[in-house]
Amino acid sequence: MSWVAHDLEPYAIQKHTMIKLAFVPLLIGSYSPDMMTKWFVYGIHLGPWELKASDPAQFHRGWPGFGFTHSLIYGVAIGLIIWKVFGSRLWGVSFLIGQWAHALTDTGDTVGTMLLFPWTLHFHLDAWAYAGQTGRYVDAAAYFSGLGGMWDLVWIVYGLFSWRVLTSSYFDTRIYAADAFWPWLNRAVPRGALLTVYRAAFFYGTSRWIAWTIWAHVIHHYPYDLSWGGPHWVPAAHP
Amino acid sequence: MTFDRPSGSDLVTFGGYCAAAAIYIAIGVAWLDFLLSFWVGLAYVVVTCWAVPTLVRRLA
Repeated sequence: MSWVAHDLEPYAIQKHTMIKLAFVPLLIGSYSPDMMTKWFVYGIHLGPWELKASDPAQFHRGWPGFGFTHSLIYGVAIGLIIWKVFGSRLWGVSFLIGQWAHALTDTGDTVGTMLLFPWTLHFHLDAWAYAGQTGRYVDAAAYFSGLGGMWDLVWIVYGLFSWRVLTSSYFDTRIYAADAFWPWLNRAVPRGALLTVYRAAFFYGTSRWIAWTIWAHVIHHYPYDLSWGGPHWVPAAHP
Repeated sequence: MTFDRPSGSDLVTFGGYCAAAAIYIAIGVAWLDFLLSFWVGLAYVVVTCWAVPTLVRRLA
C-alpha cells in the first residue's frame, strides 16, 4: 500500500494528461480503492468490540475480499456510473484515471493488486513490504523505512519542482476553468478558500510524510532498509 | 524537468504553508491520530492558510 502517493499523484496526472481532467474526481478516484476498506484492515474499537479483518491482506487486496476495488474494471464501472447517472463524462473519466493510478501504484508492494479482475492474479513488483496485517503503527514504521516511503518522496520532490501547479494562476486557468464544480462551489465559498482546498491534498500528503518519518526514525529509531522488498525486519504479506 | 524561480509573493505564500505544516507536523508527531484523517488535514489547512490570514488582513 502507499501512504502518500495517492495524495500527490493527481497533481502530476492533471498536469501531464493530454485530455481535460477535473481535479476533484481525479483525487476521489485516487482515494477510492481504500475508502471503504482501510479502517477494517487496521481495525477499530467500538466499545468492547474490535472490528478487524481476520486476514487484512486478503480482505484489502484479495478475492474473496474487497481486492476488486484495486482493479482496472472497478474504475471503469464507477466511472461509467458517474458518467451515466450524474451526466458528467469529465467526472467519470477523471475518476477512472485517478482510480487506475491507485491500482497501478499499489502493485509496487508484495501483495500487489488484481489489476485484471475478475482474473484473480495479483500483479506485484515486490519493491516494498505490505505490512498492513501488523497494524497501523508497525505498518507506518515499515512503510517509511523502505522503498514505499522513498517512492512517495519522489512525488513530493516532483511536486516541489513543478511548484507552478500549486499557484493561484494555475488554479484559475487549469483547475477552476476546467470543471463547473468550482464555480458552483464559489457561489458559497470564497475563491481564496477554494484555492486552499485545491492545495490541501498536497499539503496533507507532504506533511504526513514528514511527520511519519520523524515519528519512525527520530522518535522510535526504526531502521531504514531500502533493499528491494524491504524492510525485511517486518513480516511481509504475500498474495 | 526545469525549475523556474518563484517570485517574492510566491515565496511568502509558500512560507505561510510551511509554517502551518510545521505546526501540523508537530501536533501529528505528538498525537498520531491527528494525521489519520484527510478531512482533519483539509479543515486545518483551510483555517490556518486561508481563514486566519483573511481575518488578520481584515482586522489590519
